[in-house]
Amino acid sequence: MDLGLKDKVALITGAGSQIGFGKGMAMALAREGVDIIVCDMDLEGAEKTAEDVRATGRKAMAVKMDITNTDEVKQGVDSALKEFGKIDILINNAGVGTTPVPFVESTEKDWDINININLRGTMNVTRAVLPQMIERKTGRIISMSSTAGLSGMATGGVYGAAKAGVTLFTDALAKEVGQYNITVNCMAPGAGATNFHKASNFPQQAQDQFKNMAAAGMTTTPEELGTVAAFLSSDKGRKINGQCLRVAGLM
Amino acid sequence: MDLGLKSKVALVTGAGSQKGFGKGIAEVLAGEGCDIAACDMDYKGAEQTASDIAKKGVRAIAVKADITNSAEVKEMVKKVLDEFGRIDILVNNAGGSAPPANFVDTTEELWARDLNLNLVGMTYVTRAVLPQMIERKSGAIISISSIASTMGTAGGTAYAAAKAGINNFTRSLAQELARDGISVNCIAPSLGNTAFYDEFPKEFADNFIGRAIEAGRYVTPEEIGNVVAFLASDSTNRIMGQCIHVTG
Repeated sequence: MDLGLKDKVALITGAGSQIGFGKGMAMALAREGVDIIVCDMDLEGAEKTAEDVRATGRKAMAVKMDITNTDEVKQGVDSALKEFGKIDILINNAGVGTTPVPFVESTEKDWDINININLRGTMNVTRAVLPQMIERKTGRIISMSSTAGLSGMATGGVYGAAKAGVTLFTDALAKEVGQYNITVNCMAPGAGATNFHKASNFPQQAQDQFKNMAAAGMTTTPEELGTVAAFLSSDKGRKINGQCLRVAGLM
Repeated sequence: MDLGLKSKVALVTGAGSQKGFGKGIAEVLAGEGCDIAACDMDYKGAEQTASDIAKKGVRAIAVKADITNSAEVKEMVKKVLDEFGRIDILVNNAGGSAPPANFVDTTEELWARDLNLNLVGMTYVTRAVLPQMIERKSGAIISISSIASTMGTAGGTAYAAAKAGINNFTRSLAQELARDGISVNCIAPSLGNTAFYDEFPKEFADNFIGRAIEAGRYVTPEEIGNVVAFLASDSTNRIMGQCIHVTG
């Protein structure tokens, strides 16, 4: 199926990890002919991903972006627009959690991390990218929710609330911008064998458990998310709008 | 993106209407290289679909079944298996609705028709197709639900209930079959410019459906077909038991 994505431009946040969902989606889109703006707090990682994108023959640019920092987001988006002239596809992938603890033991700092990065961060980048999509009357926004945002998970309530926020933000925004030929969707992956659990300070035992699940084929892979992201980015998926696609197998 | 569907065999029910979702689905799958069994109560329509699809360079046959008749379904599936040796993709598309009427005004016959045609029928076809998928530990089942399944629709109580049944049949069956490498999902379209409303009173069709179509608020058979092809691919089998709304 030709997705018709050649020469589109995508901005992907959190794409600096070499084993992450973000890079998987960047590579899947690059293979469909999309140029990629690779954003991450870790500029070195973003540059590595950009190099691999270039190896597919597409253009790529690495941008240092902490999505909770609105100035940095604005600067990053501006520099990307200067370089590429447009952003057709935004993938709000950057996100993180905190050590799983019962809510009564959680701190305000935990809440800030979960809500500011996963929910406000997604809003920050969307706010910066959206005007030129509205102006050009075309665009695709794909954000990352989570299975933990679809049904509650003990010790993950704050993270789940932030991700449920992403799902609802997606639905509402889709209804606002559908008139501009912009679709807004999100994906709810299950666990992945990515850097997420380490970055979220999960105990080593839990991190090992996810590695075992990956070995048993139970986790969602970056390639699988890449396929879904490419379809949602394309004209073929244009009537899917405001939806949250669960890409999690049995998890 | 290569969906890897080349030479797969797909059975599409309700594929006899020349402007319906079923034919659009069959055409997109054929475009990806699938061989097609086009099934319909209206055998002539199914033959027309099969003959159009054969022009795309894949194998296509027409088969006849009223999906609410279990014996006919079994015979139909056997015929497809005799012809192609296997069924990799089942698309439960056949369905329909009685003209809109408030529940208190409808008859048992009409509820039975809506429930049988939309829910019971697809369980018959799925039951008949499944054994060879389980044996080969491979397969994709995609059923056509409706936005009425989650939103409800005044004047269509039995239809909405039947479609909601598809959603939960899908979810449950997906859980049963996940370890057999078979993906089970459904699609909830909004309205289409198809023959679905042909039996509806003209006034209703013109006012309600006609206006929506005029405003471009409908989905095309090709758009549904694209999502079916996406879900039929092995590369998306982590999507499991879901109901994807395709409504714009």
